[in-house]
Amino acid sequence: MSTKAIESLSEDTVRRIAEERNEPDWLVETRLDALAALESAPLPDVIQTPGRKWTDLEALDFETLVDPLNQADTTDRDADGDVVVCSFLEAFEEYGDVLEESFGSVIDPTENYLTALSVALFTTGTFVYVPEGVAVEDVTVRAEMNSRSLFSQTLVVAEESASVTILESIESGADVADDRYFSNLVEIVAGENANVQFGSLQNLSPDTSTYSLKRGDAGTYASINWIESNFGSRLTRSDVETELNGDGSESQIVGTFFGHDDQHFDINARVWHRAEHTTADLVTRGVLDEEARSVYEGVQDVGVDAWNTSSYQRENTLMLSDEAEADASPKLIIHNHDTEASHSATVGQVDAEDLFYLESRSIDSQVARNMLVEGFFVPVLEEIAVDEFREDVEALVAERLR
Amino acid sequence: MSSEQEHLKETDTEARFEFKKEEKSAFKADKGLTEETIRVISEDKDEPEWMLQRRLRALKQFQKMPMPTDWPGQPDISEVDVDEIIPYIRPDVDVRAGVDDWTELPEEIKDTFDKLGIPEAEKNALSGVGAQYESEVVYQNMQERWEEKGVIFCNMDKAVQEHEELVREYFMTKCVPPSDNKFAALHGAIWSGGSFVYVPEDTTVDMPVQAYFRMNSEGMGQFEHTLIIAEKGSEVHYIEGCSAPKYSAFNLHAGGVEVFVKEDAHVQYSTVQNWSKNTYNLNTKRAIAEKNGRMEWISGSMGSKATMLYPSTILKGRGASDNHITIAFAGEGQDIDTGAKVYHNAPNTKSTIESKSIAKDGGRTNYRGLVHIADGAENSSTAVECDALMFDNDSTSDTMPYMEINESKVDVAHEATVGKIGDEDIFYLQSRGLDDDDAKQMIVSGFIEPITEELPIEYAVELNRLVELEMEGSLG
Repeated sequence: MSTKAIESLSEDTVRRIAEERNEPDWLVETRLDALAALESAPLPDVIQTPGRKWTDLEALDFETLVDPLNQADTTDRDADGDVVVCSFLEAFEEYGDVLEESFGSVIDPTENYLTALSVALFTTGTFVYVPEGVAVEDVTVRAEMNSRSLFSQTLVVAEESASVTILESIESGADVADDRYFSNLVEIVAGENANVQFGSLQNLSPDTSTYSLKRGDAGTYASINWIESNFGSRLTRSDVETELNGDGSESQIVGTFFGHDDQHFDINARVWHRAEHTTADLVTRGVLDEEARSVYEGVQDVGVDAWNTSSYQRENTLMLSDEAEADASPKLIIHNHDTEASHSATVGQVDAEDLFYLESRSIDSQVARNMLVEGFFVPVLEEIAVDEFREDVEALVAERLR
Repeated sequence: MSSEQEHLKETDTEARFEFKKEEKSAFKADKGLTEETIRVISEDKDEPEWMLQRRLRALKQFQKMPMPTDWPGQPDISEVDVDEIIPYIRPDVDVRAGVDDWTELPEEIKDTFDKLGIPEAEKNALSGVGAQYESEVVYQNMQERWEEKGVIFCNMDKAVQEHEELVREYFMTKCVPPSDNKFAALHGAIWSGGSFVYVPEDTTVDMPVQAYFRMNSEGMGQFEHTLIIAEKGSEVHYIEGCSAPKYSAFNLHAGGVEVFVKEDAHVQYSTVQNWSKNTYNLNTKRAIAEKNGRMEWISGSMGSKATMLYPSTILKGRGASDNHITIAFAGEGQDIDTGAKVYHNAPNTKSTIESKSIAKDGGRTNYRGLVHIADGAENSSTAVECDALMFDNDSTSDTMPYMEINESKVDVAHEATVGKIGDEDIFYLQSRGLDDDDAKQMIVSGFIEPITEELPIEYAVELNRLVELEMEGSLG
């Protein structure tokens, strides 16, 4: 594609954002490089089959969506214990070295058009630093988006044998008349034997388009577990990915979504096995009502050196409406034969017999259907170790069903 | 050496496919593809004007369309340069439309098919046989009792002359138009040979009919067209076999298969493909199934350097069903990218896809499949199952299914597994006195059994022999 130039964007814009935040030179350079990459960077890959493109990212009109100098958000960060949780602004002075070393080490800012745009323009985000051996449980980051466009950048660095659970949520704050764009990049660097759990809940207003790319780099014996829940936005493109770069590393990617109206979810879970004895488990469950549409791609890529790999993937979609559409493509790319890998995907509707059984117990059919939908999410919810997060998801599911 | 392999040597399976014959042709087109070439081929075949026009339109399509290069993980087909291909070779056979007695064939051609075991199979297990050598069908015969019932089994060129109305209606119009893909367009321009099968209403052809395709010359392209029309309530099983000797230059096979499964009809299409490992196999196969029609594709892809083949079925009528069984075996230097496509366009339609693949010695297999359920195709169900077996770390095994579900009242399931041959399984067999090679062979035979049991016994044996041949050597 010919990349969309955004006329209102210039080096001055980027420099102004950086200057307002008093950023170090290396970050200004990174931003400018990202800006320059917009010239040639392609949009993220979208699945195509004969005559069909599963998600139309080219329809996004960045000229009107992007308003770089008026970004506004309210972000509450909460953490107890020996952990650093702050905005980048607050981190530059004391943790400048850590930031410089790790920023952009997992996601190359120039990887695609949307990552480049995000790095060039981000004004909010969170830096989480867990020093060696420290274990903290409740790091929460709750953000509200109060402008037409918002670019957020999160970096988590967990040192050797550190352990942390982070919950992030994003909602829409003040009403804005126009269509909105939210971009969210999350990088996790998990050192040897570190354990990072990252939960994310997106419930933005229906006039929003969301791009979210979350990627972790798991070192030796490290584990990175993701929970990705999408309820809001009209168009969501979500990529959750782990590179298992260290021997014995593990990753679990749990995903949920619930679409209604004309929502479009493009959900992607990917894992690269690059070292020995690595394990991955990808589990996604989604429900579609009304005219909602979901697109799912799951990739399990087992490299030549990934001896003794175990890799599993399951995706299930429940369709509540005849107008809904569910597309799925679970992929296996296997280069090492010492692998046990499997994937499965299903699409179906609420089981008629289950419904009949509940009705025969004199439960109203609407109530019965709702019970079954809530039950459908249970296997995924069970994977969520954090009560607070699970309750949030359950509440949102219940709300949708009302 | 194991007893199985001794047996293999005795049966001489390898020699049966690898031999070459001296090239003797009556007419050989120049390399490359121009309007002139096509006019010459069409004239040599004495075709009606409409067929020439269809060829020329397809050529324009071909020239317009880009090479497919942007599929994720697709085989490298950059070597395929149509200007280097000899598109048409007419072997030196007296009877233009082929003979119906093997003894009338020139000695070297008869010998070829003897070695491939075709006349023997005809005697024992088949209703009819067609044999294509280079670009033309040289032998065609069907048992008389089928002719009496109105069953037509003839070569495609003859059908253009003798069954012009049927061919004109069905040939690359409704099922595989030349605009479908670049190699379908190429096929439409320079197709030659292949089979035409017509089964009248309520007729069951109870023994399979078979066509065998043999490329003998270096650097040639084979573009046979198969058109099967199964009328209401009829039933037929068509078997296709392919092979070629190996040359250093590449060969191209871009066949076209169109199957019309009318109401309540049942067609089974079985292929055992054993092209030489310098052949690019870029085929287009498609079936349209009407109300309650049933289509079955059974494919064994053993040969070729690179295969891109996705037999597809359009379930057009209510209650139509499809069944795909595929097995791919990729050894050294082979990239077998194959799978299935099914479009559920009507209610109560059903499809099952079963894919087995084996990769060894640096070969790559990929299951690439698409199941599309259209809005309104309620109560449809599909089940896809892919199993892959890997022998070593130089090989690659990919699985890339795509599912597009526009209807809620459906039952969709996809499952895939990849694994290596289990050490425990081998240990168990060894403890029963089998050696390592035999144990592995037995496990592979068991792995592909769901496929072989669908084939007539002669072909199941053939497929097993090919697998044994592939397994040999690397295990010793």
